Amino acid sequence: MTGLHDAPVPSRREFLALSGGALGLSSLGLGAAWAQNKVELDPAAITNTDHATDVLVIGGGMAGLFAAVKAHDAGASTMMISKGRLGSSGLTPFAKGFFVYDPKTETESIDAFVDTVSRSALGTNNPVYTRQLAEHSLDRAAELKDWGFFDQNLANRSFMKPVTDRDIPLIERVVVTHLIKEDGRIAGAAGFRLDGEETVTIRAKTVILCTGAGGFKPSGFPVCDLTHDGSIMAYQIGAKITGKEWNDGHSGRSVNPADCYNGWGDMFDRVPSTSGVEVHHDLGVDLNYQAYMKGNPVAGGPQVATDDPVAGGPVTPEEFVRSFPAREGGPRDEAGGGPGGPPPGGRPGGPPADGEGGAPGGPPMRGYAMGGASAGMAIHKSEGLVPIDDRCASNIPGLYAAGDALGSHMAGGIYTQIGSSLAGSAVQGAIAGEAAAEFAAGIKAPSIPDTKLAEVKEEILAPLKREAGYGPAWVTQTLQGVMIPNFVLYIKKEPMMRAALAYIEELRDHHMPMLRAANMHELRLVFETRNMILSAEMKLRASLMRTESRCSHYRLDYPEMDTENWQAWINIFKDAEGRMQLVKQPFAAWPRQT
Amino acid sequence: MTINSINGCIGCEECVKSCPCDVIRLDKETGKAVILYPADCQICHLCRMYCPVDAIEIRPEKSIPVVVSWG
Amino acid sequence: MKLSAKTVAIVIGCAVFIGLPLLFYGLGDVPRRSLLKEVLSVLTLLAFSLMLGQFYLARSNEVVLELFKPPEIQKVHKFIAYGAVIIILLHPALIVLPRFFEAGIKPWDAFVTMVTTFDSAGVLLGLVGWALLLVVLLTSMFRMRLIKRFGIKYRTWRYVHGGLTVTFVVIGIWHSIDLGRHTDVAMAIYMITLAAIGTLMLGQLYWADMSKTVKKPLPKGEKS
Ligand SMILES: Cc1cc2nc3c(=O)[nH]c(=O)nc-3n(C[C@H](O)[C@H](O)[C@H](O)COP(=O)(O)OP(=O)(O)OC[C@H]3O[C@@H](n4cnc5c(N)ncnc54)[C@H](O)[C@@H]3O)c2cc1C
Ligand code: SF4
Ligand code: SF4
Repeated sequence: MTGLHDAPVPSRREFLALSGGALGLSSLGLGAAWAQNKVELDPAAITNTDHATDVLVIGGGMAGLFAAVKAHDAGASTMMISKGRLGSSGLTPFAKGFFVYDPKTETESIDAFVDTVSRSALGTNNPVYTRQLAEHSLDRAAELKDWGFFDQNLANRSFMKPVTDRDIPLIERVVVTHLIKEDGRIAGAAGFRLDGEETVTIRAKTVILCTGAGGFKPSGFPVCDLTHDGSIMAYQIGAKITGKEWNDGHSGRSVNPADCYNGWGDMFDRVPSTSGVEVHHDLGVDLNYQAYMKGNPVAGGPQVATDDPVAGGPVTPEEFVRSFPAREGGPRDEAGGGPGGPPPGGRPGGPPADGEGGAPGGPPMRGYAMGGASAGMAIHKSEGLVPIDDRCASNIPGLYAAGDALGSHMAGGIYTQIGSSLAGSAVQGAIAGEAAAEFAAGIKAPSIPDTKLAEVKEEILAPLKREAGYGPAWVTQTLQGVMIPNFVLYIKKEPMMRAALAYIEELRDHHMPMLRAANMHELRLVFETRNMILSAEMKLRASLMRTESRCSHYRLDYPEMDTENWQAWINIFKDAEGRMQLVKQPFAAWPRQT
Repeated sequence: MTINSINGCIGCEECVKSCPCDVIRLDKETGKAVILYPADCQICHLCRMYCPVDAIEIRPEKSIPVVVSWG
Repeated sequence: MKLSAKTVAIVIGCAVFIGLPLLFYGLGDVPRRSLLKEVLSVLTLLAFSLMLGQFYLARSNEVVLELFKPPEIQKVHKFIAYGAVIIILLHPALIVLPRFFEAGIKPWDAFVTMVTTFDSAGVLLGLVGWALLLVVLLTSMFRMRLIKRFGIKYRTWRYVHGGLTVTFVVIGIWHSIDLGRHTDVAMAIYMITLAAIGTLMLGQLYWADMSKTVKKPLPKGEKS
């Protein structure tokens, strides 16, 4: 299973890091695959707190903030719950460029903007959501400005402002593991506290998932706290999930690849700012292809992968090909392109925006480029719950999603408008908040039978009660070894994906039910591991199904775009027998409601 | 390795709350922050930046072997 | 002869109150930070050790009394003490000062969080110590007026001053052992030793003074 970092010639530092790692392994007990469960608390003594609200917002990033504020302002009793701190969890703390369409300064109309995005996205975007982004971004930016978001590099304080002003109840450090459905509609959610020996249940008329995206706890992209929890919870109760075949192609650096902070230059230190229209076709898997075909450049040697690119591989539409050499794709790229976006001035592969760092991708001491920094994550906004309308509703009545948790395909299957991910989360959060409040106003509070709640609590605590089991960290590492290598999910081909799927099914059927947890932290890891396994299965199945190459999805065995059969997204859902099903949904159409 | 040491902690719990990955906890007896789960640290420096007394030191190496796509 | 004894005394003084803390600072295995932060750390450490040194620049230190003239001692005592006191009074602000120049929580927010963390014994001690030190500073600055106004004897003023500073030092050391970034075992022993000896010397002097008049308990500085 090992896909451990196999550098051609490990440098002294890498060697030290690796041996240090081995030490860590033994001292942290990660090595233990199957072992006795040395529970540190008494599972029988774990209590439950029960809450009730009209609108429950799960997640404390940009989307969650606006969802809660707007739901409250629309008159609904609103509550926020998040596994991390408001503005200091998920991806939001790291994004610094906020896209604003300002009619006063833009020369292009919104129609023209939407068309440009659609051309770059090769039809994979949902123009309704692309337009919405442009229409509302200015208002959201103005509110953020009022709250002080653009005044400092940490978001917690500015995010807390509207929440405390409105007295919106906020519970942090609760991991939500279950959505509860009753009588065919959403009825609430459940999870557990990281800090106390307590489960938490919330009865809610509507739930807005603002749980962000997720990944396979990769190295070099700060997404290790997200594992597509929202999508998986929703999938379990019958929601449709989309966009799993797209790939975020961020790469990192070979020296200390897991060091997100330094790998991103001064990005995490920056104060957020706004940016205007600038549409690219960025950060697919082009560099992965170069490395796959020619091997990776070695430190100090010629930059094989980028100096003399091999023909073929992922295609950038003519209009969006840029003049500088093939991107090296270091994390710095996001500062200028990628999901993110500037602070203005940055250009992928071009000179860094503000002189720090030198060569694209980072100073030479960081080593050569290395793939998989964001493994397990798709293009922001492309993956997540399938919206059934333009107001972020899912196919489950009362269940909404916004931001990275919603498969709105706002940008499509590739990064198009820079800086639009953060703005998109703000815009969609606000829209979902209002829609959910409206829905909640018209219905009675759901009732959840006690037996159901007891059942959920039992499920949550099961890993703590196992006498022995698989360690979640070990299962995660096994999954990483299967899923992260370049030749599995970046440069895709059928036999390899089938092989990986066999592994993942094994983990799903044999390991997932036998994960153990000794404390609340490990309990979190257990659920995250479960979510990663199901996410991996979705990614493999969707990638196998899409027999073409387009945007950030590249099939070595189907290198061409297939406009005859594939003007469609892939929606994933669980059938009555509990099997994973995949269906096509034509581009620019809403899913049929049954 | 990863988050490395905490010196001069006043026990305000800012880092515990600000860590997305639940790496740090407050020791109930000493009232100070302890690095409990370093293997889960994503080296994002949020804890350090939120700490009012700048007590946290973070090193660039991950404490467990990392899996990458190529390189 | 007399001159060189003076020089020796000064050199020893510098070695004990500047050299040793610098040595312990250097040997401590606390990660180094930016130059500014290290300078501020060292400044605060030295301010405190020099403050401890004041016990030895007083009437209680017979060696110094023999070598130097009382006005000389008083002048140096005052000069060092005011400097050190000001740095120590400022050190909560110095801790958050570098945030002006780097990313992270804003200095004022950091400061507020810091001084409102009442769960921490170290912070509470720090707040009490800070207030005490302010009292020490103000009473010293206006001692003449106080003496006149309340008609107390200069000797009584000295008891008050000694008592206040000993209490401050006990609290300060405790605070620093609990919270100090650089207060490891060596540094702690160093500070306790200096404070204990200083207090004993002072106690001895007062004891001698007071055995003629009223009886007062010994300050309990040596215990902490
Ligand atoms: C390094 C970096 C740089 C970026 N730069 C930019 C940029 O410059 N411009 C730009 O537009 N975009 C950028 N992005 C993308 C942008 O950050 C995201 O698209 C956006 O912040 C997503 O916001 P969100 O609210 O949808 O989700 P997130 O911010 O990811 O929030 C998810 C929230 O859900 C909570 N949560 C997750 N699971 C659970 C659970 N099970 N129970 C309870 N709570 C849960 C998390 O704790 C978190 O609070 C960047 C991303 C990164 C990583
Ligand atoms: S660096 Fe980031 S992940 Fe690591 S302990 Fe600090 S906040 Fe947590
Ligand atoms: S933020 Fe700093 S002072 Fe506060 S608990 Fe964490 S390490 Fe201690």
